[in-house]
Amino acid sequence: MLASLPKTAIPPEDEALRVPVRAFLREALQGVPAQVRAKSWMGYDAAFSRALGRQGWLGITLPIEYGGGGRSAFARYVLVEEFLNVGAPVGSHWIADRQSAPLILKYGSEAQKQFYLPPICRGESFFCIGMSEPNAGSDLASVKTRAVKTAVNGVLGWRLNGQKIWTSNAHNCHFMIALVRTSGEAADRQKGLSQVIVDLSLPGVTVRPIRDLTGDSQFCEVFFDNVALGDEALIGAEGGGWAQVTAELAYERSGPERIYSSMVLFDAWLAFIRTPAGKTPESTRLAGKLFSHLAPLRALSLAVTDKIVQGASPVVEAALVKDLGVTLEQLMPTVIADDLYSRNPKESRDAQAPRDPQADPDAQAAPMDLLQALNYVTQVAPSFSLRGGTRDILRGMIARGLGLR
Amino acid sequence: MPIPAMPDTVMPTAATPATTFPAATMPATTFPTAAMPTEPADDTFAKALQVLLAAHCPPAVVRAVERGDSDVPGQVLWKVLDDSGFANAMLPESLDGAGLTLAQAFPLFELCGRFLVPLPLAETLLVRAWAAARGIDPPTGCEDLDWVKAAARVMPQGPVPETQPNSQAENQPDTQAMRAAVLAAQLAGAMQRVLEMTLQFANERQQFGRPLGKFQAIQHQLAQMAEHCLAAHMAAQIGCTPMASSPAHRPGHRHDHLPDRLRAGIAKARASEAAVEVAALAHSIHGAIGFTEAFDLQLFTRRLHSWRQMAGAESYWHREIGEALLAAPHGLALDALRQVTDGA
Repeated sequence: MLASLPKTAIPPEDEALRVPVRAFLREALQGVPAQVRAKSWMGYDAAFSRALGRQGWLGITLPIEYGGGGRSAFARYVLVEEFLNVGAPVGSHWIADRQSAPLILKYGSEAQKQFYLPPICRGESFFCIGMSEPNAGSDLASVKTRAVKTAVNGVLGWRLNGQKIWTSNAHNCHFMIALVRTSGEAADRQKGLSQVIVDLSLPGVTVRPIRDLTGDSQFCEVFFDNVALGDEALIGAEGGGWAQVTAELAYERSGPERIYSSMVLFDAWLAFIRTPAGKTPESTRLAGKLFSHLAPLRALSLAVTDKIVQGASPVVEAALVKDLGVTLEQLMPTVIADDLYSRNPKESRDAQAPRDPQADPDAQAAPMDLLQALNYVTQVAPSFSLRGGTRDILRGMIARGLGLR
Repeated sequence: MPIPAMPDTVMPTAATPATTFPAATMPATTFPTAAMPTEPADDTFAKALQVLLAAHCPPAVVRAVERGDSDVPGQVLWKVLDDSGFANAMLPESLDGAGLTLAQAFPLFELCGRFLVPLPLAETLLVRAWAAARGIDPPTGCEDLDWVKAAARVMPQGPVPETQPNSQAENQPDTQAMRAAVLAAQLAGAMQRVLEMTLQFANERQQFGRPLGKFQAIQHQLAQMAEHCLAAHMAAQIGCTPMASSPAHRPGHRHDHLPDRLRAGIAKARASEAAVEVAALAHSIHGAIGFTEAFDLQLFTRRLHSWRQMAGAESYWHREIGEALLAAPHGLALDALRQVTDGA
């Protein structure tokens, strides 16, 4: 049976980060419309990432000796919460800061830590996640990309062949941490898998962006054709890839990005319904409902962070909070659209006025920027419950955590 | 099927039966008092109350009180609870209480839900704490929160030296917020028990040659139940985060026994929404057996529905939460969120 998560609070020293971050973001994002900010961690801006690095806000949980901030996961929570709520374009460094750097810190050799971590903290080195393949989506253990040991003139290394897909931001990244088979066959499943760090500038690597339904090209397919990797490309234990990936996914699933993906839209909508033209009894009630879902979610997300601070790997708790979180993230554009497009036409906004059955409801009173943000979030929302593990995979994990099967 | 009114109204306390209680029904646990401060109070108290309720508040007692053909089962249970001292847990130590704050009392409220305690124990805790904070002699019976409202009307201003200048809450207790906070905690406790019962059933009941819990469709329904329980549990914790934690409140004044209306409303709204889902999923998984009077599930799910209806169902609070959110100065919803979720 799952233990319940006790309510916790962000320590004051970490909370103190909020003021400078907010001041910085206010200046950096002045005049950026909601429809752009709504992209949030799907928005890429390398210069912005470097600016955050200069502020010391990347790799804030990493040890100081590797260029990090030496702070707790709560410090990162405050930063990320601020980034996501204003819709800062944090996509470039997102993966490196969230999971690649902690993974390298945990499993890497001293040389790997010294080589990879400082540039991540400076916002100069971007990473992507090489997990999915064309025939290994939810069934991740069936990956076929293979790294074979080589010895050329006595120099040890690996030869990499295969393909990854749905790799977010690969076309703008320097490195990929890929889950590959280093021994055995597909039937061996979790055994014989390892993680390698692939320099995406190497010969034999081809990155091809895939256009998504919103018109963006943020995820890619990545091909490896006899890519020659050094011996030091292996990260962690040979054959230990599955355990490492599982630990990595706990980081990937537990963060505030699993509750705030629609927050820029929510705030833009709130700003509208605070105006006399926008406020209706229905919208007020809806705002209260969404807020009553957000409040316990934020508290849960903090409680999971507390577990991480205490050194635990709250895999099942993270799955529970992610599934709850993305459900709300997906509910928001649905119900906000219903609110905005079910109002009486402008000329008969008076609720008492009889309805003209020929006049379509419109949302003309709402600002165009709000409607465009709504359209973007509506279109991108299906990805919320795909990225980081689909809803059905998460529910399977929760069921296991409950002691079923 | 009519939902009987829950026995949350005032229990007759004066009419204690002439018969004495048999020794066997007396509580085995005693109230942990003076030696406590170094330990996490909530955990210790909760464990003790759990033992007590497991022994003295089984489903048979819940059924007997609900049937109402005799006052004795309720009076026996009340005597056990009162003698154990739990009804005084929120009184200051100077009044032989344990000085629990609202947040520390949360696990006790939750247990009242988990065991469907058919008496207003949680309400009595709050009434006594409120009276003591006002300098009124705490009532000694089994109390309903309406008592607080009545007392506020008829009693002269109590000699409370520390009364704050703008102490609305002190003079006009928000019994609706109190009830909302208590009900949310009880809903969370009852939902957790329903989840456990349903898990056990799914692991034991066999169909098509294997336990129900082996079917993915059932697994995913149970996962959803667990999500609702988790959200309701956290919402209820928020509801029991007392006013003293609001940044606006000055330290040094005892408000840590009173719920904050907005937080209590969030708790009640979210827990009420979850209760409907959890009850429906539990019945869906249990099948026909769960629909019988004899099976205990109905004791829980009927109460999930009636507690949802009390002190404002979800839309009642959604409207009020929405008004509060829209009244906040233009800015990030995050700041309003932080206000209600920060503070342990």
